[in-house]
Amino acid sequence: MKLISLALKNLTRHRLRSLLTILGVAAGMFLYASVETMQGSLAKATQISADDTTLVVYRENRFCPMTSRLPEHYLPTIERIPGVREVIPIQISVNNCGASLDVITFRGVPPEALRQYNPDLTVIDGSYDAFTKRSDAALVGSHFARRRGLKAGDQFEAVGVNVYVAGIISSDSPQDENVAYVHLPFLQQASRIGLGIVTQFNVKVASSDLLDEVAAKIDATFKSDQQPTHTRPEKAFFAETAKQMIELIGFTRWLGLGAVLAVLGLVANAVLLIVRGRVKETAILQTLGYSRKNIATIVIFEGVLLGLTGGFIGVIGAFSFFLSKSFTIGNEGLTLALAPTASVCVSGMAVALLLGLVASLYPAWKATSRPLVQSLSSH
Amino acid sequence: MSFISIHSLTKSYTKGKTSVTPLENLSLDVPRGEFLALMGPSGSGKTTLLNLIAGIDSPTMGELVVDGRDIAKLSRAELTHWRASHVGYIFQLYHLVPILSAFENVELPLLLGKLSRSQRREKVSAALELVDLVDRAHHRPSELSGGQEQRVAIARAIVHDPNLLVADEPTGDLDRESADAILNLLKTLANDHGKTIVMVTHDPKAAEAAHRTLHLEKGKLIEQGALESATAKSV
Repeated sequence: MKLISLALKNLTRHRLRSLLTILGVAAGMFLYASVETMQGSLAKATQISADDTTLVVYRENRFCPMTSRLPEHYLPTIERIPGVREVIPIQISVNNCGASLDVITFRGVPPEALRQYNPDLTVIDGSYDAFTKRSDAALVGSHFARRRGLKAGDQFEAVGVNVYVAGIISSDSPQDENVAYVHLPFLQQASRIGLGIVTQFNVKVASSDLLDEVAAKIDATFKSDQQPTHTRPEKAFFAETAKQMIELIGFTRWLGLGAVLAVLGLVANAVLLIVRGRVKETAILQTLGYSRKNIATIVIFEGVLLGLTGGFIGVIGAFSFFLSKSFTIGNEGLTLALAPTASVCVSGMAVALLLGLVASLYPAWKATSRPLVQSLSSH
Repeated sequence: MSFISIHSLTKSYTKGKTSVTPLENLSLDVPRGEFLALMGPSGSGKTTLLNLIAGIDSPTMGELVVDGRDIAKLSRAELTHWRASHVGYIFQLYHLVPILSAFENVELPLLLGKLSRSQRREKVSAALELVDLVDRAHHRPSELSGGQEQRVAIARAIVHDPNLLVADEPTGDLDRESADAILNLLKTLANDHGKTIVMVTHDPKAAEAAHRTLHLEKGKLIEQGALESATAKSV
C-alpha cells in the first residue's frame, strides 16, 4: 500500500505524459471493448444452447425476407406434426436487406397469437390490449424504441408502413428487442405482399432434442409442394442467413487484437521512459535500502495504474456508448443488437490489468538490473 | 573492538579492456562513535572506499567488517537489507525526491519497515526536529535552500537510527555558512548520539570538524608523516 502511493505520486510527476498515455490506453481499450461487445452479441445470437427449442421455417433457397414467401395455410399442417408445441406465422418487412446499422424490421403476427407464442414478452410502456384493439398498432422492442426515441402513443412511419406505438416491449430474445410487431393482415396489406402470404413460420418444439427431427418432418411434408421449405433451429438460421455480417464481425477480432498490442506497446514505452528518467532516483532508493523487488513493485504498480485507469475510461466509455446509441446491425432482415454486458467490462478491466502488468515487466527488470554504483554516478 | 575493521581490502574492475584498481590492499580501523574524514585527490579511491563501507559496492578481495559483520561476504540482496537498517547515506547533491515533501522524503526509509503511520510520523518529526526543520516539513525540495535540502537529507539518513553514517562531500555544494551548520550537525550526531561517521571531503575546513582525517592517494592510505613530508616538499 505504501509503495502504491509512491507509484501514484510518481505518475503525477509528468502529468501530461501520464495523461496522454492514459488517453492512448483508453482509446485502445475502447476499441477492444467495442469488438468484444460485437463478438459477445454475435455469440449470443448464434450459439445454440440446450434451452433452444425454436425452429424457423423458411422458403427453400431463399435468404432475404423479400423473397421468402410461404402460404399462410401451411400453419395447421405444421401444427399437426408430432413434437410441435406452438406455431406462429410471421410476415417480415425490412427497409434494407443488406448490412445496415439502422435496420427497421416489422414483424407481422396474428395479434392474439403473439402473447401465447411468446409469453416472455413484457410490455414495459403502453399495453398489450391497446395493441390488439387497433389494426395499425405496433409493439416496439425496447432497443428499437431507444434507438428511434419512441414511446407508447407515438406514431411512426418506415418502409411505407405507418404505425401507432401501442407499447414498448422487453424480452430475453435479442431479436424481439429490435423489431416492431404489427398485425399480420395489416402488414400483408401495407407491404403489398397480399393476404395469405407469410415470410416464415416460427415453430416451438416440445424439447431441444426434437429440433432436428421436427425440422426434417416439416421439410419432408412440403417437399413436393410449390413452395418447399427449409427448416432450421433459429440460431442456425441466423448463422447461415446473416453470413456476411458474421464474417465482418469475425474480422473485427483482429482489430481487437491490434488494439491490445497497441496498448501493450504504449504502456511499455511510457513505463520505460519513466524508468529511464529516474535512474539516479532509483539508485538513491536502493541506497536507502529499497530492494530490487521493492523497486520492481513500484514500477509495476505504475504500469498497472496506467493500464487500469486507461482501461477503466475506455471500457466504461464503450459500455456507455453502446448503451446510449443502441446500435443494431441488420442483415437479410435479421438484427443483431450490439448490447454491452457486464462481462465485457470485467474482461476489459482484466485485460487492462494484465497489459499494465506485462508491459511493465521489462522496464521493472531494466530499473533494477544496473549496478548500483553505476546508477549513482549517472547524470 | 573497532566498529569498522578493514583488512587488505582491494577493489578492482574492468573498464573496457583496462583493469582499474581504485583501492589496493587497504587496511583501516574506525572505532565506534568516531567522525572520520577521508581526503585525497580525485581518483584516489575515497568514494570507492565510502561505497564499500556503506555496502553499496562489494570488494574484490579482503575483509570488511562493520559492527561485527563481514559485509564483504554478503550478497546484493543481503547488502540492501543490511543498508536499510545499519547505514544512513548523505549525498553531495542531497538527492531528495522532488515530488515528495520534506516530511515524505524523510519518511522514505521507514516505508520499508512495519511501523504504523503514527510511529512513522513520530520518528520523522524527531529527525526533522534534530535538523531544525520542523517548520519546513511540508515544503517540497524546490521550496528549500541548498542548506535546508541537505539537512532534510541528513534527517532522512538518521530517521531509522543507523549506527553508521556515510557522507560523500556533504558540504561540497553549499556556501560556508550552510556548510558550517551541516558540519556542526554531523559533529553533534557523532558526539551526542554516538553515530560513527565516515565523510569524504575535498575541503580541509570540513575535515577539521572530524575527529580524524585520513588521506588517500592512488588507492592507498598515506601515513601522516609521509603526508607532512609530501606537503612540505610541495611548499
